[in-house]
Amino acid sequence: MLEVENLWVRYGTVEAVKGVSFSVPAGSIVSLIGANGAGKTTSLRALTGLVKPGAGELRFGSTSLVGLAPHQVVGLGIAHVPEGRRLFPKMTVLENLTMGAYRRSRADVASTLIMVYEHFPILKERGRQLAGSLSGGEQQMLAIARALMSRPKLLLLDEPSMGLSPIMTAEVGKIIRQINALDVSIILVEQNAMLALTLAQYGYVLQTGQLVMQGKAQDLLRDEGVKKAYLGL
Amino acid sequence: MRPKLGVPIVLATVVGLALLVPRFGGDYYVHVFALVFTNVILAASLRPSLTCGQLNIGHSAFMSIGAYTSALLAKNLAVPFEISLVCGALLAAAVGLAIGYPSLRLRGVYFAMVTVAFVEVIRLIAQLWVSLTRGMSGLSGIPKPSILGMTLTTRASQYYLVLGLTLVILLVLWKLEHSRLGLIWKSIGLGDNLAQSLGVDIARHKLLAFMLGCFFAGTAGAFYAHFIRFLFPPEFGFLMATNILVYNYVGGRGHFVGPVVGATFLSLLSEPFRGSPYETIFFSIAMLLTILFLPGGLITLPRKLAELRWWRTASSPTPSPAA
Repeated sequence: MLEVENLWVRYGTVEAVKGVSFSVPAGSIVSLIGANGAGKTTSLRALTGLVKPGAGELRFGSTSLVGLAPHQVVGLGIAHVPEGRRLFPKMTVLENLTMGAYRRSRADVASTLIMVYEHFPILKERGRQLAGSLSGGEQQMLAIARALMSRPKLLLLDEPSMGLSPIMTAEVGKIIRQINALDVSIILVEQNAMLALTLAQYGYVLQTGQLVMQGKAQDLLRDEGVKKAYLGL
Repeated sequence: MRPKLGVPIVLATVVGLALLVPRFGGDYYVHVFALVFTNVILAASLRPSLTCGQLNIGHSAFMSIGAYTSALLAKNLAVPFEISLVCGALLAAAVGLAIGYPSLRLRGVYFAMVTVAFVEVIRLIAQLWVSLTRGMSGLSGIPKPSILGMTLTTRASQYYLVLGLTLVILLVLWKLEHSRLGLIWKSIGLGDNLAQSLGVDIARHKLLAFMLGCFFAGTAGAFYAHFIRFLFPPEFGFLMATNILVYNYVGGRGHFVGPVVGATFLSLLSEPFRGSPYETIFFSIAMLLTILFLPGGLITLPRKLAELRWWRTASSPTPSPAA
């Protein structure tokens, strides 16, 4: 479904991503793991058109994503949940959700909202509350729910577990599985490698902008190098 | 917050009072209030652009374009008022497109600089293109406004015209602000990168907000031209542009009525100084006082007073030294 080939991204003179390739088969969860500055977030931003790649090919189905503006990428069915939640804190929960579905018709929005509320009943309760007044976990739920409002085929999740308690992290993990069951493919970027590799079918390990390892998630979980560097075992 | 019933009552009272002005006030008050409404249109039409986070200090230029276009069409080609007004508004919007499109990528103060420069450019054009605009001797002999061939000769009838225009424009702007488009504008102002990552085409929506403002500024200008019947280039300069901005900030950015309140309050209060050097001083002081004491604008005054009262009663048993 998504093919990334030899992606290079630089910020000024700093090369953040140096020739990374990965692919996401339809219906799967793929995770990119690695430490800070490994180039995970930058890779996602290149996919959504928020940064221009220096070189490389990005294909979604048969469409090339290179050179598309962010709104065009969203139009193709790719939704991005950025790092650190990034809600509109001064808008209500419902307004935040509506923003997620901004490209779609009113009737469509209403039906999607019902679907989203089924998965996130708490958001229905909090509909008129300001997003900034939600707890950290609820904010992450809202960020994911907002992305779902665009009915994506591919969901990019950037550090969904950041700053969450272990209980909330488990909750987010459950939600990610549920979304995947709706036939949405997912790219999961995480520093929490344990969470990422237990959810994903396939994993890629990035280090200072380069791909250093890839494999089935279970194999990576058992790998001594990965264990030492990322799982703290 | 105010109870639901309060809003229609306040609205009806304000409109009712506005309708009564020509009955009980003389021609002077009719004149003053007609200009107040022109300022209300200008201030309210700047709001979408400000909501998108664009610091637009160029509104007077678009008013000028609307004013000169409508005046010249009516005077030289005897075009009916309704048509010349729409032409003025459309030309202002078209020029807004031409200026807005290339400067969309600029933010904050850089965008503001472009708009300020544009105000000067338009003022200079109006000043130097003497054969068309009469330059610094001013354009006079502009026909009075008319509707369906009927000339509005009395000040009162012209007053009702601008009142009607203002109400219609405010209704349109209010509807837009509370539609999905308004939500998108708000989202761009709150975080344009985030809005973009949600798939909002921010360039297009910023441009739309900007052009909409230009269109209504042009409308206000066209009315102004046929009401005052004399146009003088320096009137539409930097001072007027900043005043329109000040109306928004002094009134309050947080609610739709902010610019309406700000424009009404400041235009009435500054009336004695109009055209004198004190006008600038007045607006500067108003802006400074607002920033210092009411950062949310005049519309937050009732809440602020309630807070003060609460604080006083709460702290009266044991007076605290905190100020």
